[in-house]
Amino acid sequence: MSHSAYGIPISWFLTVAAILFCAGLFGLMTRRSAIGMLLSIELMLNAANINLVAFGSYLKMPTLAGQVFAVFVITLAAAEAAVGLAIVINVYRHEKHVDVDKMTTMKL
Amino acid sequence: MTLFGFEITGYQISFLALAGITVLAALGVVLIPNILRAALLLGLTLFGTAGLYVLMNAPFLAAVQVMVYVGAIVTMIVLAIFLSHEVMKTGFGKSTYNFLLGGAAAAVLFLFLFISIANSVWVRNAVAQGPAAEDVGVQSVARMLLQPYVFPFELASLVLLTVLIGAIVIAKEDKPGEP
Repeated sequence: MSHSAYGIPISWFLTVAAILFCAGLFGLMTRRSAIGMLLSIELMLNAANINLVAFGSYLKMPTLAGQVFAVFVITLAAAEAAVGLAIVINVYRHEKHVDVDKMTTMKL
Repeated sequence: MTLFGFEITGYQISFLALAGITVLAALGVVLIPNILRAALLLGLTLFGTAGLYVLMNAPFLAAVQVMVYVGAIVTMIVLAIFLSHEVMKTGFGKSTYNFLLGGAAAAVLFLFLFISIANSVWVRNAVAQGPAAEDVGVQSVARMLLQPYVFPFELASLVLLTVLIGAIVIAKEDKPGEP
């Protein structure tokens, strides 16, 4: 155990991020409702953000670039959620369900 | 402070608490069939992540996380669930092989990531003790955003405007006689 003020090694943060990412992957593969899949994607983006910030602040020459990238990822996650939910609402209005297994209108 | 023979700091205790909340809530997000509860648990996960950002010496990002993620995105998802309440009936796939495949994929990926984390040269090159102290206030983040990253910053605002218009167009009810 290190004798510093913090005493948290970077690998702890990376492990938490890995758990979140794998949980998101599991949810993406098992959920069948479009909104549930969106939730899982948000989990995975969040895991990526944790990694970015951890590497940014744990480098020997720490940089704020990790935080800036994380801000961009959050922005794009908001954009993705807005478009995804608009599509979900539109599909629900036309088909009265949001089951991705039954969305086959555009399939050949 | 010493606990069970280990030297443990207050930062480590708060990390363990926050990480426990985050991970348990994330497992709830993917395992609870009720989609509304899953969405609210996603909000808890994002709150826990904001706490982890504070521990990583990124207080500005923690504030952004709480305002944008918890305040905007989770609210939007909950409202979308209210608008399409049939979504509550769509749970998981009927077949069990989905669970087996998903669990196997997640387990294999986690094993791979964990081995990488344990052996990676980046991790060994990182500062061992904790985040190095530096100027992390709003001012330095703003200087970073507006000097080296000003082009992506403006591009992000353009993307947000486009997405806003696109979401309105997609979600609008199409009436006959209107383009």
